[in-house]
Amino acid sequence: MKESLLEILRCPLDKHELELEDAEYDGEEIVEGTLVCPECGERYPIEDGIPNLLPPDMREEAPA
Amino acid sequence: MGILENKARARLFYKYLSQVYDQVNPFIWTDEMRDDALSLLEFDEKMTVLDVGCGTGFATEGLLEHVEEVHALDQSRHQLEQAYEKFGKHAPPVHFHRGDAERLPFATDTFDVVWSSGSIEYWPNPILALREFRRVLKPGGQVLVVGPNYPDSLLAGKLADSIMLFYDEYEADAMFKRAGFEDVKHAFMGPAYDPDVAITTIGRAPE
Repeated sequence: MKESLLEILRCPLDKHELELEDAEYDGEEIVEGTLVCPECGERYPIEDGIPNLLPPDMREEAPA
Repeated sequence: MGILENKARARLFYKYLSQVYDQVNPFIWTDEMRDDALSLLEFDEKMTVLDVGCGTGFATEGLLEHVEEVHALDQSRHQLEQAYEKFGKHAPPVHFHRGDAERLPFATDTFDVVWSSGSIEYWPNPILALREFRRVLKPGGQVLVVGPNYPDSLLAGKLADSIMLFYDEYEADAMFKRAGFEDVKHAFMGPAYDPDVAITTIGRAPE
Protein backbone atom coordinates (compact mmCIF):
# COMPACT_ATOMS: atom_id res chain seq x y z
CA MET A 1 0.00 0.00 0.00
CA LYS A 2 0.99 3.61 -0.53
CA GLU A 3 1.66 5.75 2.52
CA SER A 4 -0.81 8.32 1.20
CA LEU A 5 -3.60 5.81 1.88
CA LEU A 6 -3.27 6.61 5.58
CA GLU A 7 -5.26 9.78 4.85
CA ILE A 8 -8.39 7.76 4.05
CA LEU A 9 -7.91 4.52 6.04
CA ARG A 10 -9.75 4.30 9.36
CA CYS A 11 -10.31 1.73 12.08
CA PRO A 12 -13.35 -0.30 10.92
CA LEU A 13 -14.62 -0.46 14.51
CA ASP A 14 -14.54 3.17 15.69
CA LYS A 15 -13.49 5.02 12.48
CA HIS A 16 -10.51 6.60 14.25
CA GLU A 17 -7.39 7.48 12.23
CA LEU A 18 -4.74 4.75 12.14
CA GLU A 19 -1.04 4.97 12.98
CA LEU A 20 1.61 3.08 11.04
CA GLU A 21 4.12 0.99 13.01
CA ASP A 22 7.12 -1.15 12.02
CA ALA A 23 6.81 -0.23 8.34
CA GLU A 24 9.03 -1.94 5.79
CA TYR A 25 9.28 -0.27 2.42
CA ASP A 26 10.00 -1.43 -1.10
CA GLY A 27 10.44 1.88 -2.91
CA GLU A 28 7.22 3.86 -2.27
CA GLU A 29 5.30 0.74 -1.36
CA ILE A 30 4.72 -0.23 2.29
CA VAL A 31 5.06 -4.02 2.08
CA GLU A 32 4.88 -4.98 5.76
CA GLY A 33 3.83 -3.21 8.93
CA THR A 34 0.97 -2.73 11.34
CA LEU A 35 -1.84 -0.18 11.38
CA VAL A 36 -2.75 0.62 14.96
CA CYS A 37 -5.86 2.36 16.24
CA PRO A 38 -4.78 4.64 19.12
CA GLU A 39 -8.41 4.85 20.26
CA CYS A 40 -9.31 1.17 20.75
CA GLY A 41 -5.84 -0.38 20.51
CA GLU A 42 -6.81 -2.77 17.70
CA ARG A 43 -3.95 -3.74 15.36
CA TYR A 44 -4.34 -4.41 11.63
CA PRO A 45 -1.52 -6.11 9.73
CA ILE A 46 -0.20 -5.07 6.32
CA GLU A 47 0.48 -8.37 4.55
CA ASP A 48 2.66 -8.24 1.43
CA GLY A 49 1.45 -4.69 0.81
CA ILE A 50 -2.26 -5.36 1.39
CA PRO A 51 -3.81 -3.77 4.50
CA ASN A 52 -5.96 -6.36 6.29
CA LEU A 53 -8.68 -4.19 7.82
CA LEU A 54 -11.07 -7.02 8.60
CA PRO A 55 -12.55 -6.58 12.09
CA PRO A 56 -10.94 -9.09 14.48
CA ASP A 57 -14.04 -11.36 14.54
CA MET A 58 -13.73 -11.90 10.77
CA ARG A 59 -10.04 -12.79 10.61
CA GLU A 60 -9.30 -16.43 9.93
CA GLU A 61 -6.20 -16.35 12.13
CA ALA A 62 -6.58 -16.74 15.87
CA PRO A 63 -5.21 -13.73 17.76
CA ALA A 64 -1.52 -14.12 18.55
CA MET B 1 -35.54 -13.42 4.61
CA GLY B 2 -32.53 -15.67 4.41
CA ILE B 3 -30.55 -17.22 7.21
CA LEU B 4 -27.57 -15.03 6.33
CA GLU B 5 -29.08 -12.28 8.41
CA ASN B 6 -27.85 -14.25 11.38
CA LYS B 7 -24.17 -13.34 11.44
CA ALA B 8 -22.87 -16.57 12.98
CA ARG B 9 -24.73 -18.55 10.35
CA ALA B 10 -23.35 -16.24 7.69
CA ARG B 11 -19.83 -17.05 8.80
CA LEU B 12 -20.62 -20.76 8.66
CA PHE B 13 -21.92 -20.22 5.16
CA TYR B 14 -18.75 -18.47 4.04
CA LYS B 15 -16.58 -21.09 5.66
CA TYR B 16 -18.27 -24.27 4.46
CA LEU B 17 -20.45 -23.39 1.49
CA SER B 18 -18.39 -20.86 -0.41
CA GLN B 19 -16.53 -23.66 -2.15
CA VAL B 20 -19.70 -24.88 -3.88
CA TYR B 21 -21.01 -21.34 -4.40
CA ASP B 22 -20.47 -21.43 -8.16
CA GLN B 23 -22.77 -24.44 -8.45
CA VAL B 24 -25.60 -23.02 -6.35
CA ASN B 25 -25.41 -19.36 -7.29
CA PRO B 26 -28.32 -18.56 -9.62
CA PHE B 27 -27.04 -15.05 -10.18
CA ILE B 28 -25.73 -14.30 -13.66
CA TRP B 29 -23.53 -11.32 -14.30
CA THR B 30 -22.21 -10.70 -17.81
CA ASP B 31 -19.95 -8.14 -19.52
CA GLU B 32 -23.00 -6.60 -21.11
CA MET B 33 -24.83 -6.22 -17.78
CA ARG B 34 -21.70 -4.72 -16.25
CA ASP B 35 -21.45 -2.15 -19.06
CA ASP B 36 -25.17 -1.34 -18.75
CA ALA B 37 -24.69 -0.73 -15.05
CA LEU B 38 -21.59 1.43 -15.63
CA SER B 39 -23.58 3.58 -18.06
CA LEU B 40 -25.91 4.58 -15.20
CA LEU B 41 -23.11 6.50 -13.46
CA GLU B 42 -21.46 9.82 -14.25
CA PHE B 43 -17.66 9.47 -14.30
CA ASP B 44 -14.64 11.72 -14.42
CA GLU B 45 -11.29 9.92 -14.70
CA LYS B 46 -9.91 11.57 -11.54
CA MET B 47 -12.80 10.39 -9.36
CA THR B 48 -12.13 8.38 -6.19
CA VAL B 49 -13.99 5.10 -6.59
CA LEU B 50 -14.56 2.18 -4.21
CA ASP B 51 -15.52 -1.33 -5.35
CA VAL B 52 -16.98 -3.20 -2.35
CA GLY B 53 -16.84 -6.99 -2.61
CA CYS B 54 -14.58 -6.76 -5.65
CA GLY B 55 -13.99 -10.53 -5.66
CA THR B 56 -11.88 -11.53 -8.63
CA GLY B 57 -12.04 -7.98 -10.04
CA PHE B 58 -14.65 -8.33 -12.77
CA ALA B 59 -16.34 -5.00 -12.03
CA THR B 60 -13.03 -3.36 -11.08
CA GLU B 61 -11.91 -3.98 -14.67
CA GLY B 62 -15.02 -2.21 -15.99
CA LEU B 63 -14.59 0.71 -13.58
CA LEU B 64 -11.01 1.17 -14.80
CA GLU B 65 -12.36 1.96 -18.26
CA HIS B 66 -13.85 5.11 -16.71
CA VAL B 67 -11.43 6.14 -13.95
CA GLU B 68 -7.65 5.98 -13.48
CA GLU B 69 -7.57 4.23 -10.11
CA VAL B 70 -9.96 2.09 -8.07
CA HIS B 71 -10.01 1.21 -4.38
CA ALA B 72 -11.11 -2.42 -4.15
CA LEU B 73 -12.19 -4.21 -0.97
CA ASP B 74 -13.04 -7.83 -0.30
CA GLN B 75 -13.04 -10.10 2.72
CA SER B 76 -11.74 -13.16 0.90
CA ARG B 77 -8.04 -13.71 0.44
CA HIS B 78 -8.68 -16.35 -2.24
CA GLN B 79 -10.91 -14.14 -4.38
CA LEU B 80 -8.44 -11.27 -4.10
CA GLU B 81 -5.58 -13.45 -5.26
CA GLN B 82 -7.34 -13.86 -8.59
CA ALA B 83 -7.78 -10.09 -8.81
CA TYR B 84 -4.05 -9.53 -8.09
CA GLU B 85 -3.27 -11.62 -11.16
CA LYS B 86 -5.30 -9.26 -13.35
CA PHE B 87 -4.09 -5.88 -12.09
CA GLY B 88 -0.93 -6.58 -10.10
CA LYS B 89 -0.96 -6.46 -6.34
CA HIS B 90 0.07 -2.85 -5.88
CA ALA B 91 -1.41 0.45 -7.08
CA PRO B 92 -1.71 1.88 -9.61
CA PRO B 93 -4.27 1.13 -10.90
CA VAL B 94 -5.90 -0.75 -7.98
CA HIS B 95 -5.56 -0.13 -4.24
CA PHE B 96 -6.56 -3.43 -2.63
CA HIS B 97 -7.88 -3.80 0.91
CA ARG B 98 -9.27 -6.65 2.94
CA GLY B 99 -12.32 -5.57 4.90
CA ASP B 100 -16.00 -5.92 5.78
CA ALA B 101 -18.76 -4.16 3.80
CA GLU B 102 -20.71 -3.50 7.01
CA ARG B 103 -17.73 -1.94 8.81
CA LEU B 104 -15.79 -0.06 6.14
CA PRO B 105 -12.23 0.97 7.03
CA PHE B 106 -12.45 4.37 5.34
CA ALA B 107 -12.90 7.97 6.41
CA THR B 108 -16.25 9.75 6.11
CA ASP B 109 -16.73 11.76 2.85
CA THR B 110 -13.96 9.99 0.91
CA PHE B 111 -15.42 8.59 -2.33
CA ASP B 112 -17.16 10.03 -5.39
CA VAL B 113 -18.57 6.62 -6.32
CA VAL B 114 -19.22 3.47 -4.26
CA TRP B 115 -19.96 0.41 -6.40
CA SER B 116 -20.89 -3.10 -5.32
CA SER B 117 -21.98 -5.92 -7.61
CA GLY B 118 -22.81 -9.49 -6.68
CA SER B 119 -22.06 -8.91 -3.02
CA ILE B 120 -25.19 -7.58 -1.28
CA GLU B 121 -26.76 -11.05 -1.22
CA TYR B 122 -24.10 -12.14 1.29
CA TRP B 123 -24.35 -9.22 3.71
CA PRO B 124 -26.02 -10.28 6.94
CA ASN B 125 -27.42 -6.76 7.39
CA PRO B 126 -27.65 -4.85 4.08
CA ILE B 127 -28.91 -1.65 5.74
CA LEU B 128 -25.73 -1.46 7.84
CA ALA B 129 -23.60 -1.81 4.73
CA LEU B 130 -25.65 0.76 2.79
CA ARG B 131 -25.34 3.24 5.69
CA GLU B 132 -21.59 2.70 5.58
CA PHE B 133 -21.63 3.39 1.84
CA ARG B 134 -23.45 6.66 2.50
CA ARG B 135 -20.99 7.59 5.24
CA VAL B 136 -17.88 7.11 3.06
CA LEU B 137 -19.43 8.87 0.04
CA LYS B 138 -18.81 12.57 -0.39
CA PRO B 139 -21.99 14.67 -0.27
CA GLY B 140 -23.72 14.17 -3.62
CA GLY B 141 -21.61 11.05 -4.32
CA GLN B 142 -23.09 8.20 -6.33
CA VAL B 143 -23.86 4.67 -5.14
CA LEU B 144 -24.57 1.68 -7.38
CA VAL B 145 -25.46 -1.79 -6.10
CA VAL B 146 -26.23 -4.84 -8.24
CA GLY B 147 -27.91 -7.81 -6.64
CA PRO B 148 -30.10 -10.75 -7.59
CA ASN B 149 -33.70 -9.85 -8.30
CA TYR B 150 -36.34 -11.90 -6.55
CA PRO B 151 -36.57 -15.10 -8.62
CA ASP B 152 -39.88 -15.81 -10.29
CA SER B 153 -39.72 -19.55 -9.86
CA LEU B 154 -41.14 -20.55 -6.50
CA LEU B 155 -38.71 -23.42 -6.03
CA ALA B 156 -35.67 -21.37 -6.99
CA GLY B 157 -36.98 -18.60 -4.74
CA LYS B 158 -37.23 -20.85 -1.71
CA LEU B 159 -33.84 -22.37 -2.33
CA ALA B 160 -32.25 -19.01 -2.93
CA ASP B 161 -33.88 -17.30 0.04
CA SER B 162 -32.64 -19.98 2.40
CA ILE B 163 -28.99 -19.24 1.62
CA MET B 164 -28.88 -15.67 0.31
CA LEU B 165 -30.69 -12.39 0.45
CA PHE B 166 -33.00 -11.77 -2.50
CA TYR B 167 -35.11 -8.68 -2.86
CA ASP B 168 -37.39 -6.92 -5.28
CA GLU B 169 -37.69 -3.31 -6.41
CA TYR B 170 -39.97 -2.40 -3.52
CA GLU B 171 -37.59 -3.82 -0.92
CA ALA B 172 -34.56 -2.25 -2.62
CA ASP B 173 -36.29 1.13 -2.57
CA ALA B 174 -37.06 0.81 1.13
CA MET B 175 -33.51 -0.29 1.98
CA PHE B 176 -31.78 2.54 0.13
CA LYS B 177 -34.11 5.18 1.52
CA ARG B 178 -33.69 3.86 5.06
CA ALA B 179 -29.94 4.07 4.56
CA GLY B 180 -30.36 7.77 3.73
CA PHE B 181 -29.91 7.84 -0.05
CA GLU B 182 -31.70 10.26 -2.37
CA ASP B 183 -32.69 10.02 -6.06
CA VAL B 184 -33.01 6.23 -5.67
CA LYS B 185 -33.69 4.46 -8.98
CA HIS B 186 -33.74 0.84 -10.10
CA ALA B 187 -33.00 -0.98 -13.33
CA PHE B 188 -33.43 -4.63 -14.20
CA MET B 189 -30.70 -6.37 -16.12
CA GLY B 190 -29.92 -9.79 -17.47
CA PRO B 191 -29.13 -11.82 -20.55
CA ALA B 192 -31.82 -12.12 -23.26
CA TYR B 193 -33.16 -15.40 -21.88
CA ASP B 194 -33.53 -14.00 -18.37
CA PRO B 195 -33.74 -10.20 -18.73
CA ASP B 196 -34.55 -9.27 -15.13
CA VAL B 197 -32.33 -11.64 -13.17
CA ALA B 198 -30.43 -8.74 -11.62
CA ILE B 199 -31.61 -5.54 -10.01
CA THR B 200 -29.34 -2.51 -10.13
CA THR B 201 -30.01 0.36 -7.76
CA ILE B 202 -28.44 3.79 -7.98
CA GLY B 203 -28.71 6.72 -5.61
CA ARG B 204 -26.91 9.74 -4.26
CA ALA B 205 -25.67 10.74 -0.83
CA PRO B 206 -27.47 13.91 0.31
CA GLU B 207 -25.67 17.19 -0.50
